[in-house]
Amino acid sequence: MSFNLLPIAPEIFLLTMACIILLVDAYLSDESRDLSYQLVQGTLLGTTSLLWLTFPTQKTFILSSLVVIDPMGALLKLFIVATVFVVFVYSRNYLKARNFFKGEYFVLGLLATLGMMTMVSAHNLLIIYLGLELLSLSLYAMVAMHRDSSQATEAAMKYFILGAIASGMLLYGMSILYGVTGSLDLSVIAQKTAQLDGNKTFFAFGLVFLMVGLAFKFGAVPFHMWVPDVYQGAPTSVTMFISTAPKLAAFAMLMRLLIEGLPAMQAEWQQMLVILSVLSMAVGNIIAIVQSNIKRMLAYSTISHVGFLLLGVLTATQTGYAAAMFYTIVYALMGLGGFGMIVLLSRAGFEAENVVDFKGLNERSPWYAFIMLILMLSMAGVPPMLGFWAKLSVLMEAVHTGYLWLALVGVILSVIGAYYYLRIIWMMYFEKPLDNEPIVTTPDMQVALSANGLIILGLGMFPQALMMACVGSIG
Amino acid sequence: MKTIYLTIVLAPLIGAIIAGLFDVSRRVAHTVTIAGVGISFFLSLYVFKYIVIDGGAIFNETLYTWLVAGNIRFEVGFLVDQLTATMLLVVTFVSWMVHFYTIGYMHDDKGYQRFFSYISLFTFSMLMLVMSNNYMQLFFGWEAVGLVSYLLIGFWFTRPTAIYANLKAFLVNRVGDFGFLLGIAAVLMYFNSLNYAEVFAQAEQHKNTLIQIIPGQDWSLMTVICILLFIGAMGKSAQFPLHVWLPDSMEGPTPISALIHAATMVTAGIFMVARMSPLFELSPTALAFVITIGAITALFMGLLGLVQNDIKRVVAYSTLSQLGYMVVALGASAYGVAIFHLMTHAFFKALLFLAAGSVIIAMHHEQDIRKMGGLSKYMPITYWTSLIGSLALIGFPGFAGFFSKDLIIEAAHHAHEAGHLGNAGTFAYYAVLSGVFITALYSFRMFFLVFHGKERMDHHTQHHLHETPAVVTVPLIMLAIPSIFAGMIAIEPMIYKDYFGHAISFEHSPFAHKHFVSLFEFMWHGVKQLPFFLAMAGLITAILLYWELSFIPPFFRQIPAILAKKLSIIHQIMLNKYGFDRFNDWFFAGGSRNVGSFLSSAGDATLIDGVFVNGSAKLVAWFAGTVRHVQTGLLYHYAFAMILGLAFFLGTFVLYGSKLI
Amino acid sequence: MTIEKLIFYFFATVLVFAAVRVITARNPVHAALFLVLAFFSAAATWLLLQAEFLAIVLVLVYVGAVMVLFLFVVMMLDINIAKLREGFIRYLSVGILVGLLILVEMVLVVRTMTAPVLTAAPVSAVPNIEAIGQVLYSIYIYPFELAAVILLVAMVAAIALTMRSPRQHKYINPSLQVNVRRADRIRLVNLPAEPKD
Repeated sequence: MSFNLLPIAPEIFLLTMACIILLVDAYLSDESRDLSYQLVQGTLLGTTSLLWLTFPTQKTFILSSLVVIDPMGALLKLFIVATVFVVFVYSRNYLKARNFFKGEYFVLGLLATLGMMTMVSAHNLLIIYLGLELLSLSLYAMVAMHRDSSQATEAAMKYFILGAIASGMLLYGMSILYGVTGSLDLSVIAQKTAQLDGNKTFFAFGLVFLMVGLAFKFGAVPFHMWVPDVYQGAPTSVTMFISTAPKLAAFAMLMRLLIEGLPAMQAEWQQMLVILSVLSMAVGNIIAIVQSNIKRMLAYSTISHVGFLLLGVLTATQTGYAAAMFYTIVYALMGLGGFGMIVLLSRAGFEAENVVDFKGLNERSPWYAFIMLILMLSMAGVPPMLGFWAKLSVLMEAVHTGYLWLALVGVILSVIGAYYYLRIIWMMYFEKPLDNEPIVTTPDMQVALSANGLIILGLGMFPQALMMACVGSIG
Repeated sequence: MKTIYLTIVLAPLIGAIIAGLFDVSRRVAHTVTIAGVGISFFLSLYVFKYIVIDGGAIFNETLYTWLVAGNIRFEVGFLVDQLTATMLLVVTFVSWMVHFYTIGYMHDDKGYQRFFSYISLFTFSMLMLVMSNNYMQLFFGWEAVGLVSYLLIGFWFTRPTAIYANLKAFLVNRVGDFGFLLGIAAVLMYFNSLNYAEVFAQAEQHKNTLIQIIPGQDWSLMTVICILLFIGAMGKSAQFPLHVWLPDSMEGPTPISALIHAATMVTAGIFMVARMSPLFELSPTALAFVITIGAITALFMGLLGLVQNDIKRVVAYSTLSQLGYMVVALGASAYGVAIFHLMTHAFFKALLFLAAGSVIIAMHHEQDIRKMGGLSKYMPITYWTSLIGSLALIGFPGFAGFFSKDLIIEAAHHAHEAGHLGNAGTFAYYAVLSGVFITALYSFRMFFLVFHGKERMDHHTQHHLHETPAVVTVPLIMLAIPSIFAGMIAIEPMIYKDYFGHAISFEHSPFAHKHFVSLFEFMWHGVKQLPFFLAMAGLITAILLYWELSFIPPFFRQIPAILAKKLSIIHQIMLNKYGFDRFNDWFFAGGSRNVGSFLSSAGDATLIDGVFVNGSAKLVAWFAGTVRHVQTGLLYHYAFAMILGLAFFLGTFVLYGSKLI
Repeated sequence: MTIEKLIFYFFATVLVFAAVRVITARNPVHAALFLVLAFFSAAATWLLLQAEFLAIVLVLVYVGAVMVLFLFVVMMLDINIAKLREGFIRYLSVGILVGLLILVEMVLVVRTMTAPVLTAAPVSAVPNIEAIGQVLYSIYIYPFELAAVILLVAMVAAIALTMRSPRQHKYINPSLQVNVRRADRIRLVNLPAEPKD
């Protein structure tokens, strides 16, 4: 038996470095803790370049087909690693100001990244589950990391318990699939389901449980209850982490489980996704309107975005998947920027987490007000921002596959949703600031945040390349 | 060559960006913009030599595909042929001269850098317009020059009149652009392409296509498209009845009046129609429409020049009238002649405007010609260059305007004789003929009132009168040169030879089968013709009425006043510019304000805001406020919600299968 | 066959009973002990499937290690169980309703079931423990390593979340204790004798 480990070289590198950093960090004094941070960022850059070097051109199965290596997975992994990198850039000062700038925090982040990468290229129920748990456990710990905050502890507890229930259900669904097909391999499961064209009841039974696990990870209604509480309670740097990269991994999990594993159950899961999608778009957009806490507002905004991206998946066409993937990536970019702005405005002893904290931002810093303007417009789906193309492409796919009513519902709800984004813009430009403290920031954060905003604007003008990358990797 | 074309376009843009977006000093601002436009000018010279003189390859390529939606491609591409090369030369040359001139004219202005940034941006936009190879980019350039024009008319944005003028220019141009956009849309709909070459290739097939816009009414497709496109040209090139914005645009600084509102932007419409000549040739109806509009503008706008007292407005009305001449040439299928006149007019009208600006500087921003007089001895350079410009304008033999204007009249005569345009041709012929007399009269009326006669200005001004500095006078001299010679040099190749190649439609030109004997022959022929006598008559009339020479009986000088009194009704009508402004203000502006305020109060405030917007917003807010209480914050409620969701999914999908939705 | 079935139903009944008692017992120590019973019963049913390795590991790891630790914690913490159960009756009716609903749904599914139920894996010549050993480090090396990483995460998280910095908790540094000198602890002061009044 021989192993071809080259395709998973990025994962191996990441894990090795995480262990090394854990050891190095133990011997560092608090003053020289920056070294850990630099090592972590170096690791992420190294992983990115390894991913780039090993970028596959076709689908191959390795490690006794437990793992699948394909362009979609590689592209998603690239974006995951890049997202985590930016999250850490944004987090550094935030963590320092709150006294939990620790090596373990970053190592947990790295291990969570490893979990996501595992999920992305899993081709076996066991691997999916292990990746998911690796991710979830790291996230629970990261949420609880700010020990002095009772809010964070509460959020961690809720996240942990609900997450445990959800992963229990996922596991139950997996065990049923295993019980019926006798295999954990997604290809075998797909084969077996296709042969069994008569009574699908038992598969549907397993599928429902799988769907609950998936919906929980995405935060789709009605399995979304954890989202607002955890987003609000967790330290902003962790919220930023939870809300961006794991969504990319969840998208991959959805693709692996439903499209690769259960294509024969398409009719059923399409229906389930329709319900999840409509509910998410509606609940997300409507409840966000009455939120006064901006992290909570963004949590509901995330829920609504999830509804839109499911819209792309439920069309069950190649282009629909590409549109959903495009949406997910765009969402991650916008989420990064949005939470990045909150981090920017926060400082030691002050969390800029209320919507009113954005009042008069234009007077305090026209440039960051402009960046926030781009982000909000993009989230609302206003051309020429990137978010517009993302919404447009999923809606177009929905229309093309005959879900006209669903697209109409989506459009109406996104119009309702535009209200709370525009409200922030209104506050930034037309109201007096409540707080006149200068914005303290560091050059790396400035560059990253500005680039983040400008990329959304720039890619909005020229969305072709990213769209083509998504279409190419799915096809 | 691609690099050269790109550089021509981008050099002014880079200049504009540096001068406009970065906080640079005055010196840097004018240096970079002049350098940028200078580069464009010299490269344009090279391109002109390459394409026109050496007969180099015509460039027609798409450089960048912006986006593809279905089978519609939005592209950026250049088409550089003889027509484009000519336009490039004219635009960059005049623009460059104006840049130099601006150093002197705007010397004390606070918005110095802003001004340079705008005029460079304008040059970029105009170049994009003339170099485009598709309607999409044409429209981009069209709107971009409109935008810069708007910005520049309102350059002194603290003056209410400037704001009024730029708003007016903007709105009137919207009317034209609306037609233009519909025209482009019609092209896209029926030809399925935005690329010129592809559209022209299919044009012949659609010659007899009929469409029904109003059910039951068959209209020729080509006529509809051409008239719609021409409506765009009417807006941009200020043709009757969309001419109203141009005189008011004189609120802007004089350099831009020269550059934008005389030499280049307003000729965009002429250029566009010449570019679309393969389409226009297919519709005699559209041509008749074009020639009628042109003739009305040429005659009636010239008449208004007689009663104006603002030095810039006189030149502005003269511009309107000359644009009318060009449009007449277009209508008579003499596209080459129109471009020829466009070119000569660009030189001498820019010259006249800049000379007017020079006078305005010397008079400390006094623009009323009744308060001038006798300036010739203070400002010799301005005087002589103005004289050259005026002679070129009235078509004095040998000067640039003589050749082009003579050809236009001949083209109109041909249209009248040939009769394929019906009465429109006849009307146009007589209109342009009488226009010649009027042109000569108003041009020299202004000339004599400004430069000769009694010095009517106040003592303070008189005391400080002197010639303007070299940055002002050198461009005048530079522009005076082509105002004299451009006609002689260009007439033979441009009109009688195959100068334009396939760039514009030539077969139907009245000059297609004629031969050019010699320059002298042409002039000698011209001098024996009616137009020359009319011009001379106009000149002499002006001398009698306005030149205060000792041997002319003073009685003559009272004639204008007597006429104004005797024909007071006509005089009043003319002073009111035929009432267009008043009508527009009352009917269009006032009417739409009334409709707007009605819709705003009844429709918007009550129905839409009250019922739909606020009503639905309140409904949503109420709903959200209620539903948010589901989110209790209690862990077991959340877990319970998940279980309920699970139960729901199980119930629907497992028991009812996939037939739910 | 019947004797096997009898044994299975016996242990299965005990398992379900013990599981119910885990969540209904008033005393947390009792609940923990019932959990031990449940684990034992489960191990016994696994033995019936000839999965002897799993059965033994369940007893060793869960009963031997995890449950002992659990009992330890339960006994050390003073949990007011009555307070925790305040809402129990209030939510009981709804809970039972939804539980029944899901139960009914599951029963309906199992009834319509036509898919072949897999029988226990065929008994091979290789013992259970050897079979696991053969695949664990070959085919399943990747998931095995991943599981190890998950344990690492648990360890890192546990330490990071519970360890306070030295400043915050009381501890003794033995090396300082050993190296202490008399002079560090005792200061001899020379007091002049007070005059008698």
